[in-house]
Amino acid sequence: MEKKKAIWGFIFTIPAIVFFMIFDFYPVINAFWMSFFKKDLLSLKPPKFIGFKNYTYLFTSEAFWNSVKATAIFTLGTFIPMVLVSLVLAALIMTRKRFQKFLQMAYYSPAVLSSVVAAMIWLLMFDPRGLANQFLNFLFSTQGIDYHWLSNENMLRLATIIVYFWKYVGYFTVIFVSGMASIPRSIHEAAIVDGASGWQDFLHITLPLLKPTTLLVSVMSMIQCLKTFSTQYLFVQGGAPRGPIDVITLNIYNTAIRDHQIGRASAMSVILFFVIMFFTYLQFKVSRSEEVTY
Amino acid sequence: MKKVLVFLSMLLVVVSMAAKVELVVWTHEDPNRTPLEEGYIKEFEKMYPNVEIKRVTYPSDKIKEVLLTAFAARKGPDIFNIEIQDEYPYIVNGRVAPVDLSVLGLKNYNDLKNLYLEGSLDAVTYEGKIYGLPLELTNWCIFINKKYFREVGLDPEKDYPKTWEDMVRVSEKLVIRDGQIIKRRGFDFRYPYYLTFFVPMVEQLGGALFSADGKTAIINDNAWLKVLDFMKQWGPNGKNLGSPTYTAARKEFNKDNNTVAMCLSGLYQIDRIKAENPAFYNSKEWMVVPFPVFQNAVKDVRCNFYGHYYMVNAESSKEKQEWAWRFINFMLSHPQEYLTKVGLIQPRKDLIESDVFKNYPYANVFLEDMKKAHIVPLHPQGPQIEQLIREAVESVMLTKTTSQDALKTLKKKANDLLKEEQ
Repeated sequence: MEKKKAIWGFIFTIPAIVFFMIFDFYPVINAFWMSFFKKDLLSLKPPKFIGFKNYTYLFTSEAFWNSVKATAIFTLGTFIPMVLVSLVLAALIMTRKRFQKFLQMAYYSPAVLSSVVAAMIWLLMFDPRGLANQFLNFLFSTQGIDYHWLSNENMLRLATIIVYFWKYVGYFTVIFVSGMASIPRSIHEAAIVDGASGWQDFLHITLPLLKPTTLLVSVMSMIQCLKTFSTQYLFVQGGAPRGPIDVITLNIYNTAIRDHQIGRASAMSVILFFVIMFFTYLQFKVSRSEEVTY
Repeated sequence: MKKVLVFLSMLLVVVSMAAKVELVVWTHEDPNRTPLEEGYIKEFEKMYPNVEIKRVTYPSDKIKEVLLTAFAARKGPDIFNIEIQDEYPYIVNGRVAPVDLSVLGLKNYNDLKNLYLEGSLDAVTYEGKIYGLPLELTNWCIFINKKYFREVGLDPEKDYPKTWEDMVRVSEKLVIRDGQIIKRRGFDFRYPYYLTFFVPMVEQLGGALFSADGKTAIINDNAWLKVLDFMKQWGPNGKNLGSPTYTAARKEFNKDNNTVAMCLSGLYQIDRIKAENPAFYNSKEWMVVPFPVFQNAVKDVRCNFYGHYYMVNAESSKEKQEWAWRFINFMLSHPQEYLTKVGLIQPRKDLIESDVFKNYPYANVFLEDMKKAHIVPLHPQGPQIEQLIREAVESVMLTKTTSQDALKTLKKKANDLLKEEQ
């Protein structure tokens, strides 16, 4: 009987598996395969097998290492503050007795916006005559200073980090809120009865029990940061210099679409794939020893 | 009997539907051109009821990539147009079909060339065959808002910038700043189309993008350095007259909202001013003057022109290719309407010699400049090289990179790219 159920269970999953194979698995395998070939996107000639040449080219390419640097700066600059701030925001929301739902909705709302629209809105704000300069001039009581949001290397990197942070911090806050809500109330009550302060309760009860959620949020946000594209793409389209924000995905796009080098672009996506896999594995490995049970 | 009749009539419908040729046309968005070409489609479909034409438009910055991915998947449209420098790789890679002379009623390519201004089909001529027909040839001149000139005590008719040195001087008078932030630009360049406006500036000083044999890139360091220095002075770290990070000058110009006094654009801009801001158009407070040259120029070369050529997918069936050329020929046989309704110049001799062209506002300014210009450099690596020039120019304008360093990097990367191709 159990075996029959299992067979039927498997049959019902076949459409999803087929869908996954065609639209996810096949392109991944194809990218791996393509990364060993030289192929011009427009050429009708068959791809030429060149072994690991695409990889050796990339590892000696200045532009590729610049992309690695841009991606690393963006990821570290976004994902660490995002995890910390969303945790703090979630804790603040949980302490509110009223407006919890409203605050969650308010923080979450930018995540609903398309990345393209978000980047366009922020591009207007970072225009030299836009709100960002006006705000900083007001804050520092200065007159007519251009903070070069879209031209200075560091300001440009900061600008893309701000856009991403603004867009996704609410999303991860909501995940933390649900993680905190799933911790049994009785554990907090027991701690308070034992004389724990609010801070001690957060530090010794909430934080350790929130470990699976923290892991989920950090893995998800890190993967998202490593895959960032539309903000950088639109900023470059809007006139910003490419170098400081030429993240790997943008480089992949330009290599494939502008340079027509689909083999080299595939090699870059394979490298990015392994980088993401490695960091995800590392995060799981680090946190496995402290699995949570109530 | 009734059943047989119904069956036969259904069969007829099916057969007639099956015989219908469907042509798919991909083109860039142009609000003035769309109604005109939709009208031609209706006329053509009326003339040839067995043909159905589906016209699809994409934003001009998107169509390149949509088209490329479609062609990579071998699902390209039957007819398309993009800028010639992006179309060139389609010709070299055999993705487009040569013009079908028999459909056009011509005997040979010379007959076709004779219909157009000399050299205007060179860009689409490859290994003795012609692969496209020009929808437009566009060069850019300087559009001026006369009101702002007078406001600062300049006479637009006399004081308009004739040289790039004049451009700096006039722009310094016209610019309005709040501290470091520019509220009104005198003029600004058309970033990031560096092959179109920047390379001719280099050529004016004796430089070139490629050597005569096409094997070396970035010729005459001195000329490149001078123009890079000029751009550095133009940018926020120099005289702060403009920057790629501001909204495109040509878009602001039409608004007449005191944010820009001059911009660089094509003849089509006139119709766009008319459509977007009729009051400004009718005020006649705007004028067009030639593309400036450097004071000590060694070559009088003006802004490069580029073209949009209608092309036909080489993988469409022979029948579709024939109909596609017939339809393109039909559309392009209305050059005067393209000029008067959209502001596009088709380089046909009959148009250039017509009174309609001669009387069209500022058409002569564009034509005179075009005579001293040449088409944007065409090279399979053209888009990559344009990106490298962009990186060089913007690094000197927006960062502390020196012109020497930027040139060194540009030269190395451009020549590496050429070597890789060889």
